[in-house]
Amino acid sequence: MRHMNTRNIRAAALVAAIALALALPAAAQAPAARPAGTPLPPLPKVFIDWPGADIEALKSEIPFVEFVPALEAAQIRVAVVPQGPPPEGLAIEFTGFKDFQGQDNKLTYAPAPGEKPEDVIKGVAGLIKIGLLRYAAKTPSAKDLSVRFLDQAKPTAVDDKWNFWVFSLSASSFLMGETQYRNGSYFGSFSANRTTPEFKVRTSVYGQLSTSWFDLGNGSVYESKTHGYGFSGLVVKSLGQHWSAGAFLSVESSTYANLDLSANVGPAVEYDVFPYSESTKRQLRILYRVGFTAARYREQTVYLKTSERLLQESLTWAYEIVRPWGNASIQLEGSHFFHDFSKNRVQLEAELSFRIWRGLSFEIDGSYTRIRDQIALSGEGASLEEILLRQKQLATGYDYSFSVGFNFSFGSTRSNVVNPRFGNGGRSISISM
Amino acid sequence: MLRSSGAASILILPLILVLGLGLASPRPAAGQAVTPDIDELKKTAVKVFLDCDSCDLDYIKTEITFVNYVRDRLEAQVHVLITTQATGSGGREYTLTFIGQNECRDLTDIQKYFSAQSDTEDDVRRGLVRTLKLGLMSYVGRTPIACRIAVDYTKPGASGPVRDRWNSWVFSLAGNGYFSGEESYKSGMADLSFSANRITAGSKVRLSASVDTSKQRYIVEDTTYTGRTSGWNGSGLYVKSLGEHWSAGAFFEVESSLYSNIDLGVSVAPAVEYNFFPYSQSTRRQLRALYTLSLKSVKYREETIFGKLRETLLKEELSLTLDLREKFGTVSLSVEGSNYFNDLSKYRVDTFSIVNLRLYKGLSVYVIGGYSWYHNSQLSLLGREPTYEEQLLRLRELPMNSNYFAAIGFQFQFGSIFTNVINPRFGTSGSGGLSISIH
Repeated sequence: MRHMNTRNIRAAALVAAIALALALPAAAQAPAARPAGTPLPPLPKVFIDWPGADIEALKSEIPFVEFVPALEAAQIRVAVVPQGPPPEGLAIEFTGFKDFQGQDNKLTYAPAPGEKPEDVIKGVAGLIKIGLLRYAAKTPSAKDLSVRFLDQAKPTAVDDKWNFWVFSLSASSFLMGETQYRNGSYFGSFSANRTTPEFKVRTSVYGQLSTSWFDLGNGSVYESKTHGYGFSGLVVKSLGQHWSAGAFLSVESSTYANLDLSANVGPAVEYDVFPYSESTKRQLRILYRVGFTAARYREQTVYLKTSERLLQESLTWAYEIVRPWGNASIQLEGSHFFHDFSKNRVQLEAELSFRIWRGLSFEIDGSYTRIRDQIALSGEGASLEEILLRQKQLATGYDYSFSVGFNFSFGSTRSNVVNPRFGNGGRSISISM
Repeated sequence: MLRSSGAASILILPLILVLGLGLASPRPAAGQAVTPDIDELKKTAVKVFLDCDSCDLDYIKTEITFVNYVRDRLEAQVHVLITTQATGSGGREYTLTFIGQNECRDLTDIQKYFSAQSDTEDDVRRGLVRTLKLGLMSYVGRTPIACRIAVDYTKPGASGPVRDRWNSWVFSLAGNGYFSGEESYKSGMADLSFSANRITAGSKVRLSASVDTSKQRYIVEDTTYTGRTSGWNGSGLYVKSLGEHWSAGAFFEVESSLYSNIDLGVSVAPAVEYNFFPYSQSTRRQLRALYTLSLKSVKYREETIFGKLRETLLKEELSLTLDLREKFGTVSLSVEGSNYFNDLSKYRVDTFSIVNLRLYKGLSVYVIGGYSWYHNSQLSLLGREPTYEEQLLRLRELPMNSNYFAAIGFQFQFGSIFTNVINPRFGTSGSGGLSISIH
C-alpha cells in the first residue's frame, strides 16, 4: 500500500478507516478491511483481437485487466494471428494506446509437433497473460501481482565454454595533494575465480604501493613509502546444505605489518545451522580453522625473533538475519597460537538496524577486539611521523569502534514526487573504518 | 488468490467448446502435459545484465532464477539500468529502464518502484524484486521457459488514494554518535538534526537545523593532544518550478562554526536555475546551470587574517553540473566559481568529475577527480598562527592555494559470462585494495 500510485478517487469511508489505522499503531500491520462499495483502482483496458476467442475464459484466467469489447475504449490491443499455415506458430501482438502508447511487444507460440489444439489455446492464453504484466505493473494493482517460477533450475544449467572461470585484471590509484602535502596510493591485482554451487575457488595476486610527501616549512621535507604484496587462495567444497570443507593459503609481504615474507596455510570446516540456500535471509555459521604460519620479519620483533614457524587455531561464530523489521548480525571470533596460549585475540562485532515503529528506526553498530597476539611488532619502535601517518602497526591491547543513530520521520508518507530542482539535496556521508 | 497453473487446466474445456477447434481427440487429463526438461529450458532463458549500484544482487539472483545473469552488458538480451532519486516523502524512486539488446533489440520498457522512508532493507529488496520480475516478463515471454511461470493475483482489499492530512509535509529527527579508539588514540563525534520538507512537483521547501560536536585525543610519548570542534547550522530552501527547464528560488542559512572561525553568519541568496534537459529526465540526464547571488553578514570568533571581526559580504556564484547515467556508464562533471563583489580578486573555483565507463567487452575504466583554486577567498581565516594541536588535528581551517584529488583505475574481466551462482560458503571476501563507492 505504501508504494501505490495515488489516484484521485474519492473514498471517504476508506479515508476514515486509514485515519483510524494511523491512530492505532497496533492495527497498522493488519490488512484493513475494504468497506463495501469502495471503487477498485482502474485496471488496464484490453481489447482482444482473436476471432472466436472465449473472452469469459480469458477473464477468469487474467483477472488483473479489464476486457473491453471495442478497440476505441482499449489501452492495449492483443491480436493473435497465425504465422503461416497450420501447424505453424501463432503470433501474439501487443499494441499500446493512450497511456501505453509505443509500448508494443510480439510473442510467439510455437506448438510442439502433434500438440493438441486445446493445449495450444491454453499456451496462447498463458502468453497473453505474461505479455500483459508489463502494463499491469504500471497500475496500482502491481502490488497485488506476484510471479512465481514453478521449477528449481540449476544456476549452472547454461552452455559455458569457460566452465565458470572468471578472470579479472584490475589496477587503481588514488592521488591527492595540497600546497604542502601530496599522497599517492597504487593498487593492482589479478584474480581467477570459479563459483559453482558445489565448489568455490578464489585466487588472487596483488601489490600495493603508497607514497607521501610533506613540506614542513623551512625547506625541510618528509617523504615516505610503504608497500605490500601477496597471494591469497581459497577452495571450498560443499557437503550438503549445512556443511562445507576447504582450505586457505596466503602469502604476504608488508612494511606496515613488519613482514618480509609470511605464508599461512590450513584446512577449515564450516557448519551453517540454517540451509545455505537461505543465506540471503539468515545464516548461523560456525567456522573452525587451523593455520600453519612461516614468517620472516623485516626488523627484529619485540620478542627478539627474526623468523618463526607457528601453529594457530581460530573459531568464528556468525549470525546474520534480514527480516521485514530490519536486519541484524553478530560475530564472535577467537584465536590463539599453540606455542603460547596467552598469545590470543577475541573479537566481537555486532550490527543492528531496527524499525521500532513506523517512521522510527534505530541503528547500532560496534566492534571490540582484545588483542594479545601482536607477535610481529617491530622491536625498533616507530618514529613520530610513522605513528601519525599510521605507517607501522603499534602496540595496543584493544581497539574498538561504536556508532549509534536513530531517525524519526512523520508527516506525509504518500508523496512519491521527485523534484530535482536546485539539486536533490539530502546527500548522506557515512564514515566507515 | 487465483493460481493460474491450476486454473489453466480447468480452462481447457470451455475453450475447446467455444472455439470448436477440438477435434475428436481424447481430452487430456489435468496435469498430464509433459513438463520439458527444466535445465534445457534454462539454457535458452533470457540473458540479463543488472546495472544497479544500490541493489542486493545476491538476493535478486536467489529470488529470480528463470533468467541467466551475465557480467558483461554486450552479452545481454536485456540490460536493466536501475537509477534512484529521493522522493518527497523521504523514500526513493527506483526507475528500472529495460533496454532490449541483440535478439530483443525491439523491446524497451520503463518500470518504477517507490520505497518509503520507513521501509527496511528487506521491504525495499522485496518490492524491487516484484517490480523487476513484472518488467522482465515481456522478455521471458519470448523464451520457452515462459511455460513454467505462474502469476498470482490477489483481488485488492483496501485500496484507493488517501487524503494527505499532512499536506505533503515530512518531518524528520535524526541523531548519530560515533566512537572509536585504541590505547594511543580515541575519538568521538555526535550530531543531532531536524528537518521539515515539503516537496511537490510545483515547489520545494526544505528546512533543517543541526548541531554537531567532536573530540579527539592522541597520546604520543606521554604527551596528550586533545582537540574539540563544534558547530550548529540552520538552513532553508524554497524553489518554484517554472516549466520543464527553469526554476527560481532562494537559499537561507544561519551558522556557527569553531572550525571556520565563525561566531554567527547569516546569509540569504536568491537563485535561478536552467536545466538543458527537461527536469522529467533527471534520473538519467541533467545539465543544470545555477546562478546564486548571496548576501552574508558574519561575525567572527577571532580577528581574521584580513583584520576583521565582522563584515557584510556580497557574493555571486555560478555552477554548471552535468549528470549522465547511460548504459555505457556514468558521467558526472561539475564546475563552480564564486567571487566577492567588495574585492573582485577574492575568488574561488572548484571542479569535480566522475567518469566510469564500460568501454568494451569486460573492460571498464574510471576517473574520479577534483581540483580547487582558492584565491584569497578564505575570508574567515584566523589572523593568528594556529597552535600545534589545531594544525595537527585539523581543528581550524588552514590557508591553502589549491588542493586536488584523483582516482584512476581500470578492470578487465574475461572468462565465463554467467554470474548466476551464489555460493555463500566460508563468507564472501572482498578483493582488497582501494574501495570507492559512488552514491
